[in-house]
Amino acid sequence: MGETARVLVVDDDFDFVESLKMMLENQSYEVITAYDGVEGLKKAKEESPDLIILDVMMPNKDGYAVCHELKADPKYNAIPILLLTAVVSNIPTTKYTQRMGMEIEADDYVDKPVTPSELAKRAEALLQ
Amino acid sequence: MLRDANILVIDDEAVIRDGCSRILTKEGYRVKTVEHGEAGLGLIRTEKEPFDILLLDLMMPGISGMEVLEALRTIDPNLIVIVITGFATVESAVDAMKRGAYDFIAKPFTPDQLRIVVNRGLERKSLQREAENLRKEREKSLKDIAYEKSRITAIIHCMVDGILVTDPDSRIVLHNPAATRLLEIEGLEIIDESLRRCVKSEDLARVVTEVLDTEKSKYVEISQEITLGEGTGKVFLRTNTAPVLNEDGEIMGSVTVLHDITQEKQINRMKSDFLTMVSHELRAPVSAVQQQLSVIQEGMAGSITEKQGKMLARAKERTKGVLDLINDLLNVSKLDSDIVVQHKEPTALEDIVRTACELMEPEADTRGIRLKLVASQPLLLVNTDRENMEEVFVNLISNAIKYNVEGGSVTISLMTEGEFLRIDVTDTGIGIPKKDLYRIFDRFYRVKSPQTRTVIGTGLGLPIVKGIIDAHHGSIRVKSTEGKGSAFTILIPKTSG
Repeated sequence: MGETARVLVVDDDFDFVESLKMMLENQSYEVITAYDGVEGLKKAKEESPDLIILDVMMPNKDGYAVCHELKADPKYNAIPILLLTAVVSNIPTTKYTQRMGMEIEADDYVDKPVTPSELAKRAEALLQ
Repeated sequence: MLRDANILVIDDEAVIRDGCSRILTKEGYRVKTVEHGEAGLGLIRTEKEPFDILLLDLMMPGISGMEVLEALRTIDPNLIVIVITGFATVESAVDAMKRGAYDFIAKPFTPDQLRIVVNRGLERKSLQREAENLRKEREKSLKDIAYEKSRITAIIHCMVDGILVTDPDSRIVLHNPAATRLLEIEGLEIIDESLRRCVKSEDLARVVTEVLDTEKSKYVEISQEITLGEGTGKVFLRTNTAPVLNEDGEIMGSVTVLHDITQEKQINRMKSDFLTMVSHELRAPVSAVQQQLSVIQEGMAGSITEKQGKMLARAKERTKGVLDLINDLLNVSKLDSDIVVQHKEPTALEDIVRTACELMEPEADTRGIRLKLVASQPLLLVNTDRENMEEVFVNLISNAIKYNVEGGSVTISLMTEGEFLRIDVTDTGIGIPKKDLYRIFDRFYRVKSPQTRTVIGTGLGLPIVKGIIDAHHGSIRVKSTEGKGSAFTILIPKTSG
């Protein structure tokens, strides 16, 4: 990839956004931020980022809804989406998180909190 | 024929008395004689063994034979009376028979004539007894049926849960007041009405139809939750519907038990609301803190000293502990609310196990563990809730992988054992210490040892497994040898039970 990839981080928790931003910037990505679903959707459309990292539980519009709208729109459905799931899933964890993520067509999912190396790995894979 | 019959002779002539007595005693009968009517009636009243036959002279001093006959109507109407008449008095014999005598014999008579007439009388007596016994028996069974019916009615009327019984055409044949109260159709005449017409729940009508469908659902028992009413008057019922089978296994109707769970629902709602609040309010800040700690620890917010790094690692471990605890709390609420709701239908267990294996295959691969499925017979059917049963095997297989050793294997085998289906999940892993074995089905219990320290879990997997197996009336047991592996054995009743 020649130029710097641009990543949109959408989460209502300021501290989360901040730490995700630091992790991504450490990987030399350019980071755009939004603090709820509506703002996230707006920025996704305006900025056309290369990757969206999207929290599930947010006020106004939750992550599922944002994901669904973007994936239903042919103009934006090519943007990969990484869902941040804080929903405590059933046991065993992976099975249900996976099902939930797949249903709404997200490209990948990761449980909060996420470690820098995990995030780097997932982001890199989605930006390929 | 009555062998040791009891015979009374009333005659004023000693010759007749003695003659009768001699002849009949020789025949094996017990014979008593008296010489006039009063004494005869007295004996009939007081004799412990009732007389079967009375030989009665009509012409006697004192009260006449006719008067004795009259008196007998109230004392012992079943007594067979043979009147002894003078040769020329056939009219009086006919008269006596109109008054209830069974037969007559004219004086003088031969021993054979006497034997014949007495035997005929005894035949009559024994028929009379048989008829009486039959009548009593019939009366008794009618009484039993009536009693049984009133007892069932009394029992179901006392029940707090509603009961609804239908015939094979979904028409209501029996119900209790609780059923009409819970279904909010009190005061309506619903016997013989179609269930669909009088019950305001499409879900219930559908399930009853499903249970009555001979093709689809032999031996099925369906549990579900139905909702009635709107807004604040909303009522939640748990219904349990099963077919009623006759001796040949044909479906004769259905029975549904209705249990009011509105209050349970409200409490559960409050609990889950509270837990959701806890999840959001606690989990979010704690995970934010943990993520920030990661960033600092990795040096992304400026370089840190070795000592600071160690402390951060420790802090992260502690926040992770808090997160695990929050997760456990949420899983417990899931455990309490999920397992009670079941939709059981005959399912091929092999399919379920296969699906579970497929789900776990990637995890097994990454750990270099082989999964083997051994099914001795194909298509073993069990009445089961598919999702729940899948969870059972995912849990067991996942454990068998997590607590295994590099290059180990997990074998899942299915077979029949008497009335049960038996499934074994056997691993070649680290095993479970004896002291922990009896506690592994307890909530939050986790085996603590150097080998298990790195394995992530909530201590809720096996309690969930046990809860599901219990709900299927099955059993689970475990055998384990430390350092060699563990074997979990599940027994579930076969569908054709």
